[in-house]
Amino acid sequence: MRNGHENNGSRTAPNSLGVDRRTFLKTTAAGAGLATVAGCLGGGDDDGITLGALYITSGFASLYGEEGARGYELAVDEINDNGGIDGEEVTVISRDTESDANTAGRQMRSLIEEESVDGLFGLDSSGVAQALAPQVAQFQIPFMVTHAATPFLTSPEGEHEDSVGNDYVFRNANSLAQDIYGAARTAEELDATEWATIGPDYAFGYETWDYFQAFCEGLGVDAEFTAEQYPGLETGDYSPYISSIMDAEPDGVITPLWGADLTTFLGQAESAGWFDQIDYTLFSVGMGTDLPADGSPLPEGEYASTRYDPFVPDTDENNSFRDRYYDEYETLPTYNAEGAYRAVYLYKEAIESAGSADADDLVETFTGMEHSGPVGDYRFNEETNQATVPSIWGTVSYDDDWESNVLDPVEVYEATPDVVNDALGDSDLPSGV
Amino acid sequence: MTNTIAFIGLSDVIIGLSLGSRLFLIAVGLSLIFGVLGVLNFAHGAFYMIGAYVALAVTNSLIGNFWLAVVIGATAVGVIGVLIEVSTIRPLYGRLEGDLDQLIVTFGFVLIIHEVIRFIWGSQPYSVDAPAALDFSVSVGGGTFTAYRLFVIGAAFVVMLGLWVFITKTYFGALVRGTSSDREMASILGVDVPRLYTGVFFFGSFLAGLGGALAAPLQSVSPALGDQVIIDAFIIVVIGGLGSLSGAFVGAMFVGMMQALGPQFMAAGHIAIPFLAMVLVLLFRPEGLFGGFGE
Repeated sequence: MRNGHENNGSRTAPNSLGVDRRTFLKTTAAGAGLATVAGCLGGGDDDGITLGALYITSGFASLYGEEGARGYELAVDEINDNGGIDGEEVTVISRDTESDANTAGRQMRSLIEEESVDGLFGLDSSGVAQALAPQVAQFQIPFMVTHAATPFLTSPEGEHEDSVGNDYVFRNANSLAQDIYGAARTAEELDATEWATIGPDYAFGYETWDYFQAFCEGLGVDAEFTAEQYPGLETGDYSPYISSIMDAEPDGVITPLWGADLTTFLGQAESAGWFDQIDYTLFSVGMGTDLPADGSPLPEGEYASTRYDPFVPDTDENNSFRDRYYDEYETLPTYNAEGAYRAVYLYKEAIESAGSADADDLVETFTGMEHSGPVGDYRFNEETNQATVPSIWGTVSYDDDWESNVLDPVEVYEATPDVVNDALGDSDLPSGV
Repeated sequence: MTNTIAFIGLSDVIIGLSLGSRLFLIAVGLSLIFGVLGVLNFAHGAFYMIGAYVALAVTNSLIGNFWLAVVIGATAVGVIGVLIEVSTIRPLYGRLEGDLDQLIVTFGFVLIIHEVIRFIWGSQPYSVDAPAALDFSVSVGGGTFTAYRLFVIGAAFVVMLGLWVFITKTYFGALVRGTSSDREMASILGVDVPRLYTGVFFFGSFLAGLGGALAAPLQSVSPALGDQVIIDAFIIVVIGGLGSLSGAFVGAMFVGMMQALGPQFMAAGHIAIPFLAMVLVLLFRPEGLFGGFGE
């Protein structure tokens, strides 16, 4: 079966000629520009549409890359079986970012310069996405981010010292700001006033806590923020951190732990009596780990979010996607799979609408574009390039029919720019929505 | 800083002891091998990791018995240690710049073992269930622990006591002490030094495997395991004194306590405390807090 997926592990040699970085980037960006022009003129790679995917496909977070691959492979198969994009076959070339900004940068350059891709999508890590965004702008190629969630990625450059948003970077999945807005709305409904956090020791962990506090204050949630812990990635034994949070006796905890770290934490928290003592644990984007993990590790009755829910909205488009995905992989689609799936369709629609795969045409078409996918109807905000997708939070429940955890009942909070910006109140944090 | 000293309770001390116990089992083997052979075994963390993976494989296999998994894990690592020592380290003993060569060879094995583990098990982490007999919760000092965690603390104390008796009270222990203080004199007096070295390397490696296997139910088993513990083990032996048995014990318990209590004082960054302690020891007492081997 041809699935349009090639895995090419080759890398370009690091820049070791003593050329200064800026000159090097300028030269390579100019080279890429020429390559793009050559592509349009009929030279280079004109055998169909080629897209580059950048995900984590090795190491402790490889489950994210595997999910992404399932999503885009399904989309590629469907599209090619139905006449391709404007009659041309679409191919996805995947590269491993290894959750490392330098590696991701090298792989991206290789995809652009050696593979002459028409567009890029993917990225799991916020840190990697922030590092890559300025390079994407220099290469002047569209990048559809499907997972990395930091609000600073779509907050226009200059809005905040960490903002890196630019014309070329789009995000089709909900961002940390949209997700955590939903967390604060969830907290608002719970009988809990003292809140704590345990998150990974990098931007994603700290941003989750900062935005949670900002949204709670903005929404007037009666909340105090009592304890915070940031264990490093790949911590093997969480017991000191678990003990520290439990000693603070919060009513509720929000945790953005993810991937294998979340499953490790869950087992150890359970042994320590965490779920008996702490009334509410909110697992931000917990479903992205729960679905692909062995068993269904999230405890029933706790709260979790997802960037996409296989049952919401209850539309033909979503239901048929979920069923096709389940037929293919015998598991419910995660948000990372849906984001990657939708990215390929976004390129299809943009290329067919623009009548070309030229980078500038694609960027122009994506800007302010309205689209519909399994996640529902949404549009890209012209000012941020962020998709106006909702925040989805619910109660973790085991579903016997699907033999899997699902969110039931589930709440869908509209997270449009107006709503999210209002909810941030007086905070200095940018919404990036 | 929302946490205060009032939060430190018996439960934190128990967590510290359990972290320290696990670290002791790896640090003592590292210290033993250095004290007697003069070899700084960089691959010692990787040996610990092999112990955990063998325990994982045996527990999840048809055998399915955790205690047997611990014995097999520790013995397998001991045998692997012997093979490495005899084939690649022994030829380097006589070299003028042998220390550096040994370090490079053992570092090579870190990379080899890491890749072999990734090849067999992949890079995702696994969990190992605690043995059924000890897989129940115990409430101590306001905290809830699995009985297995308490057992590991006890096991470390037993190993410490056993080693002390072995080194100070037995004939073989006397040979080890004698050889560690003067290899040439021991050789002249008829001690088969190469064989003794291999025996000590087996024993040190066995302890690393034992630590890895015993720790498997307390943490996730992943290829990152070896790198994490070897750094802690080096810190411990520097603080306690390279080659010192009691130094390894005190150093391990100190680092374990810092790992357990650190989060009470700061949300992040507490992992730097043992490094700071190591720097202070190197500055003011470079031989470590405790003396030579067998102390």
